[in-house]
Amino acid sequence: MNALLRWIVCVVALLALATPGRAQAERWTPRALELAGALPVQEGGRVKPLDTFASFTLLRLNGQRSAVDADGRKLTPTAWLLDVLFDPEHAARTRCFLVADADALTAIGVHVEERRKRDRYSYRELEPGLSKLLELAHQYDALEAGRRSSLQAQVVALAENVMLFARLSRHEVAALIPPQERRSEAWSTPSELRQRASALSTSEAGALEAFEAAASAAERPREFEAALERFHHHAVVGARLRGEYDKLDSERAYYRADLLGWSLKVFLLAFVATAFLWLAPRRRGLYAASVALASIGATLLVAAIVWRCVLRGRPPVTTLYETKLFVTAVGVLVALAIEAIGRQRLALSAAATLGALGVFVASGYEVLDKRDTMPALVAVLDTNFWLATHVTAISIGYAAGMLAALLASGYLLAKLFRVRRGDRPFYAALSRMVYGVLCFGLIFSLVGTMLGGIWANESWGRFWGWDPKENGALLIVISQLVVLHARRGGYLREHGVCMAAAFGGTVVAFSWWGVNLLGVGLHSYGFTSGIHTALWSYYGVQWSICGLGAIAWLLERRAAKPSPVETSREASRTTSRAA
Amino acid sequence: MRRAFDLALRGLSSLGLSCVLLILLGVLTWLGTLEQTRTGLYEVQRKYFESFVLFHDAGGVSIPLPGANLVMCVLFVNLLAGGIVRMRRDASTAGVLVAHLGIVVLLASSFVKLNHSTEGHVTLYEGQRAAHYQSYYRWELAVLEYGADGRALERVVPHAAFEKASLDAPVAIDCGELPFEVRVTHFFANCSPLPKGPMFEVDVPVVDGVFLREKPRDPTAERNIAGAYVEVRERSGATRTGVLWGAQAAPWRLELGGRSFALDLRKERYPLGFTLALVDFRKEDHPRMNLPRSFESDVEVREGEAERALTISMNEPLRTAGLVLYQASWGPSNARPGQALFSTFAVVRNPADQWPLVSCIVISLGLVWHFGRMLARHVRREVQPA
Repeated sequence: MNALLRWIVCVVALLALATPGRAQAERWTPRALELAGALPVQEGGRVKPLDTFASFTLLRLNGQRSAVDADGRKLTPTAWLLDVLFDPEHAARTRCFLVADADALTAIGVHVEERRKRDRYSYRELEPGLSKLLELAHQYDALEAGRRSSLQAQVVALAENVMLFARLSRHEVAALIPPQERRSEAWSTPSELRQRASALSTSEAGALEAFEAAASAAERPREFEAALERFHHHAVVGARLRGEYDKLDSERAYYRADLLGWSLKVFLLAFVATAFLWLAPRRRGLYAASVALASIGATLLVAAIVWRCVLRGRPPVTTLYETKLFVTAVGVLVALAIEAIGRQRLALSAAATLGALGVFVASGYEVLDKRDTMPALVAVLDTNFWLATHVTAISIGYAAGMLAALLASGYLLAKLFRVRRGDRPFYAALSRMVYGVLCFGLIFSLVGTMLGGIWANESWGRFWGWDPKENGALLIVISQLVVLHARRGGYLREHGVCMAAAFGGTVVAFSWWGVNLLGVGLHSYGFTSGIHTALWSYYGVQWSICGLGAIAWLLERRAAKPSPVETSREASRTTSRAA
Repeated sequence: MRRAFDLALRGLSSLGLSCVLLILLGVLTWLGTLEQTRTGLYEVQRKYFESFVLFHDAGGVSIPLPGANLVMCVLFVNLLAGGIVRMRRDASTAGVLVAHLGIVVLLASSFVKLNHSTEGHVTLYEGQRAAHYQSYYRWELAVLEYGADGRALERVVPHAAFEKASLDAPVAIDCGELPFEVRVTHFFANCSPLPKGPMFEVDVPVVDGVFLREKPRDPTAERNIAGAYVEVRERSGATRTGVLWGAQAAPWRLELGGRSFALDLRKERYPLGFTLALVDFRKEDHPRMNLPRSFESDVEVREGEAERALTISMNEPLRTAGLVLYQASWGPSNARPGQALFSTFAVVRNPADQWPLVSCIVISLGLVWHFGRMLARHVRREVQPA
């Protein structure tokens, strides 16, 4: 009885909570949101849909792509941005500033009751500490980025975000109005147009008038919609005339389709399916389903990458974020190809694991980085030929190194936990797989590294400069060469090759991410300070697996001690067959 | 004797040696990468990669290691010996042999680059021209004699001649028939001139109230400014001491016996073989950003009577007369619109310029052939029983 009562109370309470939300009118009409989302805006060196701009701006301020306003409504990025632009009073009460450590607020003399250590705050709540915040940020900003404590870095970031919000609400950031003059490239913000009100072109004057009308009609949905419609017309026609609107619809569709999100879900399903497959190896249907799921995941991922290439008019890899997607895709495809040849199930598991992990890490990186993942490129990178050859080849090399490490880890763990104990052909086939992937990887790492040198020779006049990123690539090549030569010379056998390949994964990780953390050299691009933990965890896991692999080897040797000669002979026979 | 030779040859050509050398190269690369966070790239290159032996400082313990130069030389021998003595030469190893041939070319190209190339830069303001380029790091001592027409006759001493000069081992400069001799008594790779105050003593000469204070080397090697003390001894025996500093605005002038001389410490200069003039430099940013989209310099190259107008831009260097000129830098970064800009071109003379490209193609062909063969065989074997 008591339990039933509790249930009823719960349900009623939930309904009571939910009802006002539903009864409340949406903050902006669907039509207004649609029009606003499709507005072109020039930012970060390119013209993009307002949807994209709003999404990354909110991500930067709030650490996520949504915010809850003072009335408890959940806002999409575009709805939030409309608030900031057209109803700043309301936006100032929306908690859209993520503060990871409340100590940062204590430092600026702001205290809000009943908040957790890590919580969200509104502009109004931060306002009393604003001058202190800017003063401290100015002081900390003078320190080198690497020397700031995490609290100081937070203060600087918070100050930047607060300033960005204030400037956004004064219409100083979003460059929404295209110039009529064909030769001029820079778009204008409404605030800039106001400042030179007497010298506006007809289209600029029309756009500004519509914008101001929208700003004054924020409380009257019909009128607002009409004004926004007019503004949208001015902006879109202007952008189309300049040929800068072509890909905006496609970009919105890309983010709406969320192919990566779907591919993550499908890869996770594939991962679960392959896990069951190990428990029930003989289920044909389950095997087929696993293969299908992994293939669908791969297809979605490849489709997303291709879509991005078309949007940018560039080869698949131009940023650190894109290396993640591309490396994952290549790793998964190679694993699926191996599965198609060998049908050992392990490559299939590797495909699912790698797919899920890779897409998950990529989206995590996007949130950490908080910047548009399709940015403008600096002068030296503005060359599709080298991006297509060197960068692509190196990324394929990374993918192969990572996949080899994953398969090798599977081998070592399987040995340790005595999976299919005594099944020599199984282990021999696995080790051959690792070896094959390493060979495949070597071609791309070696050629990719050399192409990088040739590119450097073309742009800077030296083939090799011992730059950290170059050294990282060289380390991958050397580690793979050592494995291949040591195997050829008989110094490494099945087990040894797998241990070396598992270690090789950390060499790839060092080259891919580690050197960027060093903060020196030509390639230290990208936001990397949050990646430390992830990187060291990966090192830790791989080194532990190597350690466990060594234990498994010792155990195996002890078990086989009665006839050591026999074992070594058999092993060498397997090796020679593998070669 | 014969046996010892065989043994040595087998050792030199062995796969074991290859593995050891590759691991050493890997360790050196790794250490050299980490070391760059402490000392600069230039120092690391000299210590780890261009050396034969080095002492790595591991938290106070000094570990002797072979330098990458030595490792690669041995690797070269190991490769050749392995290819001649050990490798089977038939269809199954053709790809491997070809790929290794590519590596031989690559090692050779790095040897040529290290020992037979010069690099430097030309920095020109719009409207300026130059007939030489200068080193980023190396200094030279120039003894100039001004003629009646104001033109100077130069005698130049390269960096290597005086970089080790000290009070105990001063370096005498050969001045030929000039009426004096010059000795370098101190050389500092990085220093700055300071006025000598009454409250402290210095262990170097003070000239006109100024002395050179040695400073630790900057991790960015091109920021180091060298300085030297020179002694000029006339035939009569009279001696005067001068302070030369790399960033000095004018050389040290001397009047001797009615002739006019000057001593100058400046970056090593090399002739271009032509005259280069900067006509216009353009830098374009992405709209509404401080992110450069392109750098371009319009230049004129004059060789004898022939004059060519060309454009050098990022990723589009100029190759001419055995030299390659790259768009490297520009300034002043705080220039106002309309103010004249300067453009810096990196200049490289490298006889092995295109060898890596050849090597890359050869290696790719070899590897693709070899591993393609292996893969095809593997697939045939795996798929058949099914």
